[in-house]
Amino acid sequence: MSQAPHRGPSRRSAIDIAGGLFLLVIAAVGYIGGFSLPVGHLSGIGSGLLPKTLAVLVAAFGILLILQGLIGPGPALERWAIRGPFFVLGAVVLFAVTIRWGGLIIAGPLAVVMSALASDETRPTEIAIFAVALTLLSGLMFKELLNLPIPFDPLGLIPSFVAQAYIAAKAALAGLFTALKGAVTS
Amino acid sequence: MTFDLISNLALGLAVALTLKNLWLCFLGCLIGTLIGVLPGVGPIATITMLLPITFGIDPVGALIMLAGIYYGAQYGGSTTAILVNIPGEATSVVTTLDGHQMAKQGRAGVALGIAAIGSFIAGCVATVIIAALAAPLTAMALLFGPADYFALMVLGLMFAVVLARGSVPKAIAIILVGILLSTVGTDLESGEERLTFGWSEISDGLDVAVLAMGLFGFAEILRNLEVTQARDVVRAAIGNLLPNRQDFAQSAAPIARGTLIGAILGLLPGNGAVLGPFASYTIEKKLADDPSRFGRGAIEGVAGPESANNAGAQTAFIPLLALGIPPNAVMALMVGAMTIHGIVPGPQIMTKQPNLFWGMITSMWIGNLMLLVINLPLIGLWVRFLKVPYRLMFPAIILLCCIGIYSINNSPVEVLMTAGFGLFGYAVVKFGFEPAPMLLGFVLGRLMEEKLRQALVISRGSFMTFVDRPLSAGLLLLSLITIVLAVLPAIRKGREEVFQEAD
Repeated sequence: MSQAPHRGPSRRSAIDIAGGLFLLVIAAVGYIGGFSLPVGHLSGIGSGLLPKTLAVLVAAFGILLILQGLIGPGPALERWAIRGPFFVLGAVVLFAVTIRWGGLIIAGPLAVVMSALASDETRPTEIAIFAVALTLLSGLMFKELLNLPIPFDPLGLIPSFVAQAYIAAKAALAGLFTALKGAVTS
Repeated sequence: MTFDLISNLALGLAVALTLKNLWLCFLGCLIGTLIGVLPGVGPIATITMLLPITFGIDPVGALIMLAGIYYGAQYGGSTTAILVNIPGEATSVVTTLDGHQMAKQGRAGVALGIAAIGSFIAGCVATVIIAALAAPLTAMALLFGPADYFALMVLGLMFAVVLARGSVPKAIAIILVGILLSTVGTDLESGEERLTFGWSEISDGLDVAVLAMGLFGFAEILRNLEVTQARDVVRAAIGNLLPNRQDFAQSAAPIARGTLIGAILGLLPGNGAVLGPFASYTIEKKLADDPSRFGRGAIEGVAGPESANNAGAQTAFIPLLALGIPPNAVMALMVGAMTIHGIVPGPQIMTKQPNLFWGMITSMWIGNLMLLVINLPLIGLWVRFLKVPYRLMFPAIILLCCIGIYSINNSPVEVLMTAGFGLFGYAVVKFGFEPAPMLLGFVLGRLMEEKLRQALVISRGSFMTFVDRPLSAGLLLLSLITIVLAVLPAIRKGREEVFQEAD
């Protein structure tokens, strides 16, 4: 997996061989997962027929690709990045683990900062401010406007006076709105 | 027949023109464009991300909004293609060729304008085509037995093989993997758990949104991070938005031809719509007095393909609404969205829920009009949006994706699974496979198994049923011809050339 970049076409096609092996792995997982299921007979197909048949077909194509790769020329395997997948997918995992427990107010900034580490261009202060702003904005959008049941602050991290001020402001705004509406319609 | 058409469209207009539905359509178009202009975020990722925002709405409104999001995402993709030279998806690849050149010459406004106008005209024509074809096709669908449905889906998948880039064996293999993934979960007939490895979270099967987000949302970000793309945001002025008389004269015929080509190709199962822009571009280049202008900012090269793109995007709804078979990955996602709202796509929609059916179709037309009206004035905003550096954009996309996936079922496990599929999708691409046919295989897989079983029960276990029935025999023969043609050297070369144009 750690190859020199920009390798030209060679006598064998590494990408086909690797792709074939990849298919074999998928086929094996599929076959093992469906191993105990009954195949049934043609007038009453069992639950195992399709998974097993598909696994065998996928394996056949895997072998075909490996042979093709061994015989013919083709492109080399592309380089795999480690950093990007690690931080980006790590951020998603972090979000999944923390969202129930800590709510958006914890999971949001964590996911943003963690994923930002995937890029060289990230600037610390900028991303910190951005993470907080984005979290608040998405909380406002998904929680307030769309009423989605995503937890925002289950731990009660937001100081109560801030929360109260927010509720008061919202009520005031709503009051103002109805007053305006009344003034317009009357 | 004509009277029916008009009364049906009138019914649709009555539904779509309610204040609430107009607002939802508007909102869908706007948000769809907003997310769709983000470079590297195609319609699939956009729809998945925005799916939860339609949850609180009634089914009709939700579908209207989703359709709006879909066009918005399509249009947003064209905007990015013209202004930044990054196609959001396969169908806007062609737009980058001449559109971005026009933008560099200070004619970005005209390119965006003609794209919107061409799309609008194509959308109008496509809406009428859908309305006219829906009834006869639905009637035809009633003649379809399980064996015929099965054969039709085989044909669709074969088209998907032909239309995929890269080698034919790889395309077939990845579709098979998609079908294999579709068997995960509880078997509907026997109630046995399949391929779940005792993991109860997936006993209901994998969610199409989870798969789509992993394959198209996260994997795309991973690839974007690798290639440090010189994001070539146009620095030249956007210029006049309205094309002048000469532009119109040059674009009229390409728009008409593009609309026709796109509308016909969009009807094909197996993502025929993706061919539309390529075919239109090739034809315009062949017909042009001076083909060398193409690739250097020829307005026909934007007008034709963009019209074809939009016409195809819309007629692609026909197989879904009339037969219940999604023709491409985006429509596959629409199936998922409809299912969430308790709607099973298929021929019964039109008869049982006419207001939903016709409301959605007319709202397509209204949506196209809205795109024209809202997006052209907002182009300045999109440009500013595109100048946000990618280092800020991708963490934001990731957060929105996470919130979106979590909100579908309020399940953190699904978010985890999305990460898994992100890695899987990254591997798929690195090994030279294309993820879109896999998603199509995944969605068609369940339907195919169901129909296969039904067909064999009816025929008492004889495979001859697929050959005895003229419809299914014909469709299977067509599939065979398709796949044979695809591996023939001459056609293969032509196919490579078509895609080469894009690279």
